[in-house]
Amino acid sequence: MSVTRLIARDELRLMVRNRVAVIAFALLVLLTLVAVLSSWSHQRGNAELRARHQHEAEHAFDAQPDRHPHRVVHYGHFIFRPLGPLAAFDPGVDAFTGSSMFLEGHRQNTANFGDVRQSSLLVRFGQLTPAFVLQVVAPLLLIFLGYGALARETERGTIRMLMLQGATRGQVVRGKLMALGAVALLTGLPAMIGFVALAGQPGALALPMATIAIGYAAYLALWVVLIVLVSAAVRRSRDALLALVALWTVAVVLLPRVAPDVASAAVPLQNRLQTDVAIARDLRTMGDSHNPDDPHFAAFKRSVLDRYGVTRVEDLPVNYKGLLGLEGERLTTTLFDRYATASYDAQRRQNALVEGIGLLSPTIALRSLSMAAAGTDFAGHRRFLEQAEAYRYALVQRLNRMQAEDVSYADDTAVDAGADRRKRVSATAWQQMPDFIYTAPSGATLAAGAAPGLAIVIGWLALAAVLLALATRRLGARR
Amino acid sequence: MSLVRYELRLLLRQRLTIVALALLGVLTIAALVSGMAEVARQRAAIAAVPAAQAEDIDAVADYVDRTKDAGSAAYYSFHPTWDAPAPLAFAAIGMRDVAPYIQRVRALGLEAQIYDGDTFNPELALPGRFDFAFVLVFLSPLFVIALFHDLVSGEREAGRLRTLEALPHGGRALWRRRTSLRLALLWAVLSIPFVVAAAIEGVSLPVIAIVVLVTAAYLLFWVALAVLIGRLRWSSVANAATLAAAWLVLVLIVPTLGHVAINAAVPVAQGAEIALAQREAVNHAWDVPRENTMRRFYANHPEWSDSAPLGPEFHYKWYLAFHQNGDESVAKRVAAYRAGLEARDAAGRALGWVLPSVGVQGLLTRLADTDLRGRLAYQDRVRDFHARLRAFYYRYLFRDLPFGKADFDRAPVFEDVPGR
Repeated sequence: MSVTRLIARDELRLMVRNRVAVIAFALLVLLTLVAVLSSWSHQRGNAELRARHQHEAEHAFDAQPDRHPHRVVHYGHFIFRPLGPLAAFDPGVDAFTGSSMFLEGHRQNTANFGDVRQSSLLVRFGQLTPAFVLQVVAPLLLIFLGYGALARETERGTIRMLMLQGATRGQVVRGKLMALGAVALLTGLPAMIGFVALAGQPGALALPMATIAIGYAAYLALWVVLIVLVSAAVRRSRDALLALVALWTVAVVLLPRVAPDVASAAVPLQNRLQTDVAIARDLRTMGDSHNPDDPHFAAFKRSVLDRYGVTRVEDLPVNYKGLLGLEGERLTTTLFDRYATASYDAQRRQNALVEGIGLLSPTIALRSLSMAAAGTDFAGHRRFLEQAEAYRYALVQRLNRMQAEDVSYADDTAVDAGADRRKRVSATAWQQMPDFIYTAPSGATLAAGAAPGLAIVIGWLALAAVLLALATRRLGARR
Repeated sequence: MSLVRYELRLLLRQRLTIVALALLGVLTIAALVSGMAEVARQRAAIAAVPAAQAEDIDAVADYVDRTKDAGSAAYYSFHPTWDAPAPLAFAAIGMRDVAPYIQRVRALGLEAQIYDGDTFNPELALPGRFDFAFVLVFLSPLFVIALFHDLVSGEREAGRLRTLEALPHGGRALWRRRTSLRLALLWAVLSIPFVVAAAIEGVSLPVIAIVVLVTAAYLLFWVALAVLIGRLRWSSVANAATLAAAWLVLVLIVPTLGHVAINAAVPVAQGAEIALAQREAVNHAWDVPRENTMRRFYANHPEWSDSAPLGPEFHYKWYLAFHQNGDESVAKRVAAYRAGLEARDAAGRALGWVLPSVGVQGLLTRLADTDLRGRLAYQDRVRDFHARLRAFYYRYLFRDLPFGKADFDRAPVFEDVPGR
């Protein structure tokens, strides 16, 4: 047996003899299991609930009686954000964004009913998911098991005895790395098995799943190297422990909280009231359909009359009110898109800033990697919002076109007793409206979103390895 | 007295102590500054409301003034409401980063409006805020651990323990001195910056006193735990590892487990179901005789039942009546939803009685009025305001009064909570 493996075996034997270490390890495995199961049941419950709500909403939409198309524009549609299969491993921002959205004409609504506003204060302490266990808890366990790996030998002088017996510094360090690495592997394994089980068949998601697996492996490897590094660099076990716990606190607990505050102070977001007022202001200058003298709508009317070669809207072969609806919705939607894009871009800049701070904290980098690959980050939410908006616009314009073509102008403006009946479009029309179908991103898209985070974690790992190589050279030197 | 001074001099000679206290001070100040900046941002956003609102409502008034139609005024006028931060909000941001603190409502169905959110970046909200509550609940125990894990074991390992125990004023008195000195230092580093910030923010004296006492009590809990573990006569390293593990369990793991358990034990009928049912009730009115709608409305609101009967033309009083009918048809669901949220909140608070981390967080967010109860109280104020809006517009609609430009100024104005 090589010296390295002998040293690793010896270190592992010592850990097994340490009853506290074994209990801590068992607790971590148990915690992982609880996290996998609760995350799985939570996500499955949520997915079922949303599918059921979506089904109810679609049924309600299709079951509408004969109605005026503009009524349906205001009746609107409810859509629910479906959860990707990897959300069970890392739900990311799902609890914060709200899962249901009401789509209607002339308005862009927010996604509502997020868990964060429907839960006790405990929700802000963090969520028990496999991702949380690996990001936050696993490194601390590795610290407890590994802080003394070399510091203990230095403190007691046994490192010199090892070297007297012919072990090189490199062999000692590699042996300790191997032992702690084996523990890290065992620590991560249950979560990874759960991960594969949660995701079901890998299929198209093989690439993001591999990214997540590599990312977490690199992250835990980084902690192993950091722990051995600190253990090699200090003279006393206690100093190693305190330094490592401080490092963990800063990287895992403190920086992830400080970074968002820095980002939100640096890049302000416009709130909804200001956005709504600004949109209304812009709309008044672009074209105000309420104003009979509005130049934009006067020109629009002239162009419509010219196109059909008539002089009065009453003589048009189509319903002018429907055409007005089409034009009005086009205008408002241009503005919605402009303001939404500005807000999304501001949020993306905020997140980029946080990711920049991720250069200092591999946990931030890993978190963004993990959410991006699982499709549960801001970009994933934005994908949903943009598809919802595209669907809303298509639906409203389809209804406006229906008003233009299937409801006559004379009926639409009549107020006699039977007019209400004549304005309505047959109920069969509602069933022919396409349903909202969320197009999930491809595995390659998800993996690409995770690439920057992965690069930072691997960069950290490389840096820590170089530092460890340097520290190894000075190991056991008399100071 | 001089003995304490000597202890202080001794303590401050240790690099670890100096670094720990300085770091805690810096973190406390940074958290207070960050919280105050956030609250200032929110106050500025609220202060900017009237100007934007005036511009918006002027345009509506110009349009409505042509027809003097009260219905159009009710339909197109959005009225702002806001939840000004309580003086202590800077110390515990609570839910203020994810729940809206400015919301505009109009006199239509409220259930379709009240659950709307404001723009916020979910990735920034995910890890939680960096505020005083975070420093106290999450970080201060780690500093207790750093300063207390080797209180006795360090002396034993240095071989001084027996000598110290044998000294006059040694033994128990010595440990009492050292413990209270360290505790007092930590407490001062947390409390002094807090008191300064609270004074600037105009927090009332009793509230400051409670926070300062809670800070002391929370530190005392961790000190007691450290002393208890110190009694086991383990090495300093074992003490530190055990205390850090206790921190992990009490501050991170049990709360997350509690969250899972509470949400499973107290199912909340999804808010989305309220929205779906309300929309169905509201839109159904277009498909039934209008008299049915009015009958039902007048049954619940007889004060308007002497209004003129509907003609064949569209009338906004019918429109607003079925919106109110829609709200009333889901009142039971709304009550159940709210009861569910309150039950979850109560369960979280109950956990706070046995788990100091949760208890302190709950108490701070309660004092700062940034917890769920504060959010629900704001919703109640929005509901009251909305009821006033309805009464205001109904007077014009049901009595067929013209609604001119001047009437826009008579609309109810949302009132701030006194003292904010």
